[in-house]
Amino acid sequence: MNQISCELCQEWLVPFIDNQIEDSAVFNEIAFHLQDCADCRTQLEIERRTIGVVRALLSRSCCETAPVTLQERVAHQLHLLQLQQLAGFTQTEIITQYRRTEITIDGETQIEIETSHEIRRDFPLP
Amino acid sequence: MDGAAQLLDLEESDEKSVNSKSLATKPSGELVRVDRDKESAAERSKRFERDALQYMNQLYAAALRYTRNPDDAQDLVQDTYAKAYTSFHQFEPGTNLKAWLYRVLTTTFINTYRKDQRRPQRSDNEVEDWQLADAASHTSDQGKSAEEVALENLPDSDIKRALHEIPEEFRIAVYLADVEGFSYKEIAEIVDVPAGTVMSRLHRGRKQLREKLTEYARELGYVKGGKS
Repeated sequence: MNQISCELCQEWLVPFIDNQIEDSAVFNEIAFHLQDCADCRTQLEIERRTIGVVRALLSRSCCETAPVTLQERVAHQLHLLQLQQLAGFTQTEIITQYRRTEITIDGETQIEIETSHEIRRDFPLP
Repeated sequence: MDGAAQLLDLEESDEKSVNSKSLATKPSGELVRVDRDKESAAERSKRFERDALQYMNQLYAAALRYTRNPDDAQDLVQDTYAKAYTSFHQFEPGTNLKAWLYRVLTTTFINTYRKDQRRPQRSDNEVEDWQLADAASHTSDQGKSAEEVALENLPDSDIKRALHEIPEEFRIAVYLADVEGFSYKEIAEIVDVPAGTVMSRLHRGRKQLREKLTEYARELGYVKGGKS
């Protein structure tokens, strides 16, 4: 059978572990390769452990709940937006703001590109 | 077979599930058809409150990771809800609302909160890679290694600190995948980069994170020795 290289197999290890390989032919090739190759299996185990540890620790520690003040702020803001809607107030928001830095290959010139963001509010005529 | 080409295929599959059926979920779990053209502003507003507000805790936890401080995180979540509310008519009912809200959150963060950071954006290739050899030396064949046990003993504050110290692009990818459980494709849409980039950020982010955590565990004396 046409075996894939270790290099290619290792490129696919992370999506393999994450179960994100959609092409079943690719998935099978990786699985076959892993069956035959002890080095890649070792690598698989290392990756799997790294991912397992990271996932377990993050899920354990990142689970804050929104403070009551935030819940109130959001509720208040939604209320204001609803009132504006009732008043026929329309708002168009054009977000073109972004920042980008470009550096020339020789590293001597750096250009920063920035644009901005506009909110347009149209009020109904009385 | 050309595996690299397959990989690219994965990146490009930006499938938009265009379905004319517009469904929303009632609190009871039953699906209701939503006709966005006939829906009144008041009805839409109600639908927003019913469907979108339940994600506030998750969005706040994510915002804390993005902004790294509670004040900015609150502002970010508030802005996210305001933007989501005003563009809720663009959300296709029946598609993934949580992913949509994360997209609003992430875009808002990138457009607003990040502008203060005066650092050049690094491209993925420029970021130094970590060697796997070190991690390999700690891996034992059976059960948990001593290092893994040590990492589990780290306090939550250290875990958050480690996450906050890795580059933003990696932090966001790792958070979305490993805490929120989004697929590569969903993350690609949320962050607006190809799935291949998501994969590489995730890979590097996790490695750096683990490396930092091991460093902390060493400082605390949970893991013996320096670099072995």
